Amino acid sequence: MTDLPASSAGSTTGVGETATHAAAKPMRERLVWLIDHFKREWQIYVMLAPMIIWFLLFLYKPMYGLQIAFKDYSIFWGIVESPWVGWEHFETLFNNSQFIRAVKNTVIISALSLIFGFPVPIILALMFNEILHALYRRTCQTIVYLPHFISTVIIAGIVITAFSPSAGIVNTFIGWIGIEPVYFLTKPEWFRPIFIGSGIWQEAGFSSIIFLAAIAGVNPSLYESAVVDGASRWQMMWKITIPSIMPTIIIMLIIRIGNLMEVGFELIILLYQPATYQTADVINTFIYRQGLQSGQYDLAAAAGLFNAVVAFVLVMTANSISKRVSRTSLW
Amino acid sequence: MRHLTLASVLLTSMAVTTPAIADGHLMIVDEPLELTIHMHHKRYPSYNEDWPVEQEARRLTNIHLKNATVGSNTDNSGEAINLLLASGKLPDIIGTSRIKDVVNQYGPQGAFMPLNDLIEEHAPHLKAFFEKRPDIKAAISAADGNMYYIPYLPDGKYGRAYFIRYDWLDKLGLDLPQNVDEVKAVLEAFRDGDPNGNGLKDEVPYFARQWEELIRLVTLWDGRSSGSDTYHDFYVDSGQIKHPYAGEGYRDGIKNLTEWYAEGLIDPEVFTRGSSAREYLLSENLGGMTHDWFASTSGYNRLSSEIGGFVFKAFAPPASISGKRIEEHRRIPIKPDGWAIGGTNKHPVETIKYFDFWFSPEGRNIVNFGVEGVHWTMEDGKAIFTDAILGTGRPVNSQLYELGAQLHARGYFQDYGYEIQWSNEFALEGIALYDEGDYLIDQFLGVAFNKDEQAVYDKYWPSVRTYMLERQQAWILGTGDVEADWDAYMADLDKMGLNDVLAAMQSAYNRQYGG
Repeated sequence: MTDLPASSAGSTTGVGETATHAAAKPMRERLVWLIDHFKREWQIYVMLAPMIIWFLLFLYKPMYGLQIAFKDYSIFWGIVESPWVGWEHFETLFNNSQFIRAVKNTVIISALSLIFGFPVPIILALMFNEILHALYRRTCQTIVYLPHFISTVIIAGIVITAFSPSAGIVNTFIGWIGIEPVYFLTKPEWFRPIFIGSGIWQEAGFSSIIFLAAIAGVNPSLYESAVVDGASRWQMMWKITIPSIMPTIIIMLIIRIGNLMEVGFELIILLYQPATYQTADVINTFIYRQGLQSGQYDLAAAAGLFNAVVAFVLVMTANSISKRVSRTSLW
Repeated sequence: MRHLTLASVLLTSMAVTTPAIADGHLMIVDEPLELTIHMHHKRYPSYNEDWPVEQEARRLTNIHLKNATVGSNTDNSGEAINLLLASGKLPDIIGTSRIKDVVNQYGPQGAFMPLNDLIEEHAPHLKAFFEKRPDIKAAISAADGNMYYIPYLPDGKYGRAYFIRYDWLDKLGLDLPQNVDEVKAVLEAFRDGDPNGNGLKDEVPYFARQWEELIRLVTLWDGRSSGSDTYHDFYVDSGQIKHPYAGEGYRDGIKNLTEWYAEGLIDPEVFTRGSSAREYLLSENLGGMTHDWFASTSGYNRLSSEIGGFVFKAFAPPASISGKRIEEHRRIPIKPDGWAIGGTNKHPVETIKYFDFWFSPEGRNIVNFGVEGVHWTMEDGKAIFTDAILGTGRPVNSQLYELGAQLHARGYFQDYGYEIQWSNEFALEGIALYDEGDYLIDQFLGVAFNKDEQAVYDKYWPSVRTYMLERQQAWILGTGDVEADWDAYMADLDKMGLNDVLAAMQSAYNRQYGG
């Protein structure tokens, strides 16, 4: 199922070879090899075990419950005893204009936050890399990391206050240039910018860590020879740093595309109003209202399953495109 | 404190010898019998054998409850009961908030025991109660006609009321508004007349902790906002189930409230200010009028020590455009909370007798007030709290929860006498005013669906409700015009299935209340 626990995302070669080699040997020999292998490497397997157990218990076992998407589920009867209803829940969903709207909103919000949110941590990492004064750099990093550690509820409180028409800082500013206060959080057209903006503000700093780590891994001799050749810092960034961290960027992008259908719905639930459902209601908030609040677990499971299938197709597509274009991929 | 403890010990020893209770006539079994219980409520996520009320009940009935609560780590009772059901092993007694839908859905499947015959044969007090209140019996019955739970029955009628700054009215030389036009004039005066005297136009004439309390004002145009103490609920109009957000009074109300909102008579941030609105706007001397609970809102008169002359009191509901004065909100006489008997209980007779104990005069006093002689004494036939409760200066209800009294995850009949003893004088004055005018209207007590009706409701209602609320807020905020949009809105509601939902509710209602 897994090869090496630390097989870094992005390695494309090497894993398959030993397997084919071993398969060619006769049965007995292979067994001896296996026992030998375990005797030698058992520590690695012990280290691997917790992760595998976690996967089995919390990701594979729950998949068994997915069948309730096709059943008339009763908690008391349980998963096995509940009667099958086929595609009924999916029909209900796709006949519901609010579900279609939620799918559309999910894709739009995700795509916009990918377009506007994905480059920001990379730019931040490149900027940090150019700061030479160590203390100043660490101070800046701490400041941009901090919002990541604030709970979503508090973020929502900050956003509501900042955009309040009477006391909010945003309306105070636009008041200075003579614009009437705007009640941002009830305006459908403002919901997405506010949501995506606050998401970037909260996470950009922390997500830049992985790119900083990638930058730190670039071979310094490349820069040294560039300096000897008289390259400017700008040229070094474009010709050395960015190409060197490109595999990391692409892997992160594939992961982000895989999560495209997963919008951080806690913040949406805290920020949206019936007045802004039009642009704010996503699949997860729809599931929450329709499925969990009114106890329709089977319908919620159907919506969740649909969501997962779309996400799976997206990540496979992104992976194969990336494999073909840049020869970097998750698998 | 030591003094108090000593007093309690003395009083307890007296209580043991009080003959009326100690003669054993409340004993259910000769040998102590243990029953298991799941008891979950967000204030007390598991059952505690050490609650004084429980010890007293055990002593009197010989029934000994053992805690078997599932999901004590969550404060969401719905989650806890679902966990319990999914585990497949039910204890003898299941008590929780929001039990009604659960027992009505899973009772007929065998998870809970039907109570009708048990009550008929073994529970004289419950039987007498339901004979006196057939409406309550109808309201808690499931679609198959059986009762599966004994509810918590709140006492006292009054919930919310209209509150206004009396001192602001005096300052501006205005009288209490008697009708909808006068309300508008008063709110305009609050907006323009600088009643808080700080020279700024910062007053918020009408505010609300829940934005739904803004919609409540449609009753001033003969509309409705809800049929029960739950927001956006259906209501009954001479035997017909209707939804308030599909009525013409509602349309007219929304049209006028949109104007009020645009003119600044309503808190511009009413949709996002949230639960702290009342605390903030009153203590900052900004808010003028609201619609909120009697007891907690009257409590804000303590601000008079900081804000000179501060008086925030209830006033009678203003007359609507047709001259009717109604207060739409009241305490519902029956809550969806309570307890039920698990389908695998081996001692159903003893259990129903135990449920019945809490409806006996003795049991009812214990569950409402605590232990006699310690927490209350009988004076002129009424239970009166002792200093052990009233002398501590802490909120009486939270003290009672700690004793195991007034727990809503148990089926019992509340006694309003418990609350009146510690209500604020302003609240009592307001309640007397509302009592005199008889402004309350009947409430919709809900229906129990059969399987087909439930399927229709589940399929259409959540989306219809979402759509109604979207349009409601959009109109108030000035997007679209309610009069111009109304026909299209009604057509959309029909297309989305509102009429199917109403038909399902009507058939359930007719079956249940014999309409």
